[in-house]
Amino acid sequence: MRPDSTGLGRPHRAARTLFASACLVAVALLAVASPAGAQQGDAQAGKAVYEKKCALCHGEKGDGKGPAADLLDPRPRDFTTGIYKIRTTLNKAPTDRDLFDVITRGMPGTFMPAWDILPEKDRWNLVADLKTFAPDKFKETPKKQELPKEVASSPESIKRGKEMYEAIECNKCHGAEGRADGPSRAELKDEWGHPIRPANLTKRWNFRGGGGRAEIAMRLATGVLGTPMPSFVDSVEKPEDLWHLANYIASLGPEAPNYATLLSAQAAKGDIPNDPDAEFWRRIAPQNIPLVGQVTIDPRNFNPSIDMVVLRAAWNDKEIAFHVVWDDPTQSAVDAARKALPDAVSLQFPRKVAEGAERPYFLMGGDADAVYLLRWETGKGATEATANGPTRITPLAGSEATGTAVYANGQYRLVLKRPLASKGPDRPTFQPAVFLPIAFQAWDGGAGETGTKMSLTSWYYLRLEEPQSNRRFVVPPVVAILTLAAMLLVVRVANKRA
Amino acid sequence: MRRALGAVLAAAVVAGVLLFVQRPGPVDAQGGGTVEVTVTYNGAPVVEKLKVNKDTEKCGTEAVIEKVVVGSNKGLANAVVSVPSAKGAPRMAKVTVDQHGCKFVPHVTAMMPGELDLKNSDDILHNIHTYSTANPSINKAQPKFKKLMMEKFEKPEIIKLTCDVHSWMLGWVAVLPTPFFAVTDAGGAAKIESVPAGKQTVEVWHETLGKQTKEVDVKAGQVAKVSFEMKK
Repeated sequence: MRPDSTGLGRPHRAARTLFASACLVAVALLAVASPAGAQQGDAQAGKAVYEKKCALCHGEKGDGKGPAADLLDPRPRDFTTGIYKIRTTLNKAPTDRDLFDVITRGMPGTFMPAWDILPEKDRWNLVADLKTFAPDKFKETPKKQELPKEVASSPESIKRGKEMYEAIECNKCHGAEGRADGPSRAELKDEWGHPIRPANLTKRWNFRGGGGRAEIAMRLATGVLGTPMPSFVDSVEKPEDLWHLANYIASLGPEAPNYATLLSAQAAKGDIPNDPDAEFWRRIAPQNIPLVGQVTIDPRNFNPSIDMVVLRAAWNDKEIAFHVVWDDPTQSAVDAARKALPDAVSLQFPRKVAEGAERPYFLMGGDADAVYLLRWETGKGATEATANGPTRITPLAGSEATGTAVYANGQYRLVLKRPLASKGPDRPTFQPAVFLPIAFQAWDGGAGETGTKMSLTSWYYLRLEEPQSNRRFVVPPVVAILTLAAMLLVVRVANKRA
Repeated sequence: MRRALGAVLAAAVVAGVLLFVQRPGPVDAQGGGTVEVTVTYNGAPVVEKLKVNKDTEKCGTEAVIEKVVVGSNKGLANAVVSVPSAKGAPRMAKVTVDQHGCKFVPHVTAMMPGELDLKNSDDILHNIHTYSTANPSINKAQPKFKKLMMEKFEKPEIIKLTCDVHSWMLGWVAVLPTPFFAVTDAGGAAKIESVPAGKQTVEVWHETLGKQTKEVDVKAGQVAKVSFEMKK
């Protein structure tokens, strides 16, 4: 026995210690029995929550055929099959924790919202209820798929991940640069026969099971059941390649899109290049703008192809240039014989600027308040138009707009230019230091988008920043030096007094 | 003299090994009979063609999907014939499906519950995506460097094989509860040997034309003939 500070060493001390250790062991065993804090839910109580919150989409019978199901793409899950996309298990039913996490976080990029507003107890009860839709699939306790030892992200790991990406041909669906433009894209169907799109790997905030590196590695290991995405756990050269792949995929895009709120156009000193890939554009910070499907006017666009445009803008004394980048997995060929729909983007402005806070109707204007459109489309290039709504577009004659577009690996990069000054009453004049309303529309012809089937934004504000004077390089250093001098003086005086 | 003896001995060993290895499936102690099945179809072959937009050096420029293959004398190929309720020793031969030329070869495979070898001799990515209910459905990538994979199918059912990378690829694996089965050849003929004597039910299954069954009286050491005419 260890000598203790009390020096008493009472005989029942040992028994107490033994009892305490036994309790600890019991607690530890209990913790093992319910991994990661999973709770046993009450299916009966879960049913009540299900009927209120879930049945509208997933159906009363859990077959994914609720009243709203036909409007949703991707469609709501059919729980009766026991096939779940997001699992930490291989091929079989998900763990309770997997189901709980999906309920809690929702499915990014789909209509399934995060239900973290529900009390935790309700969510565990829902888990229990969901399992009753496919009791056979949940008979066995699911075995969790373990990942190999984590490999931290590094340039070497990302390089190895890229090699693996090419070796296992992720590009077949996800494209050479991950923008979901692979050659198998058009053929993909889920297990219910519905067309399904591969994930755009540069936008991991939309990953259904989360965009963290561990989550990506788990998706690679277990696949996404019910979809074409297979399991790669035994199909990489070395087990740790799963991490290299995850590190590479995570390197393809930011974790979050950090959408812009106010847009700005930078003042340029000299000429603005027409080439979208010119170094000039790389020096301007990108401004990400989310687009949503147009669902006000028939035909509506419930699952838009284009969900974001990236804007850089610059102006000089003569012209304004918009550098617009957007992902489009299918480049529409300019071929009238095949009746291919064009890919297009359109920047919308009021016809006149600075008339108070009033703006035309955001959806391409209304009867009385027309908007001005600066457009680009495959085959036609840059054009100008006015619109009194999406079906009433009037091209403007004598367009001075120019457009230069590059398409590569599932992405358009475009420079759209126009003179600063307006020509007539239908075009706005771009003025510096004014908050100019701006909105965006985009069409992916390859996805059948045309007319009102588009993605769009509401109004944003664009500000043409005035050239910054060189004073900003002079004044702050001078202030800093003066402050430092003053501080030194104070220190010296204080030291002398002491 | 010694040389001749050596040759005879070697031949005997080889013959013995061949006998041992190639022995067709079940060892029949009671001395069963043979069932010869002919499957015919009165309709036209169903062949779908698809333009290939990738891997053309392996897959060719046109994918041919043969859903109903009709040979000479209206014989229906790729039909699985079996005697589902007949019991016998399990077949030991390894069953293999190859992914070759962006096709599952053979198009229809029959096996007893157990292991299936999946080969990829194409040197490109395929994925084995099965559609099943009794067995867990699987979707596993088989990249070019993964030449061989093994999958276990433990319960009898008919499993559809697909590849999402090449959507036209289609194959079938009939997991059967009996060792007495065969797949019809190009002429619609199949032979099941050593079937236990007595009244037996023969079943035929085809991927698009469905199922049929027929009673047949199997006599030890004799050939029982049964023919099926499949309808749409």
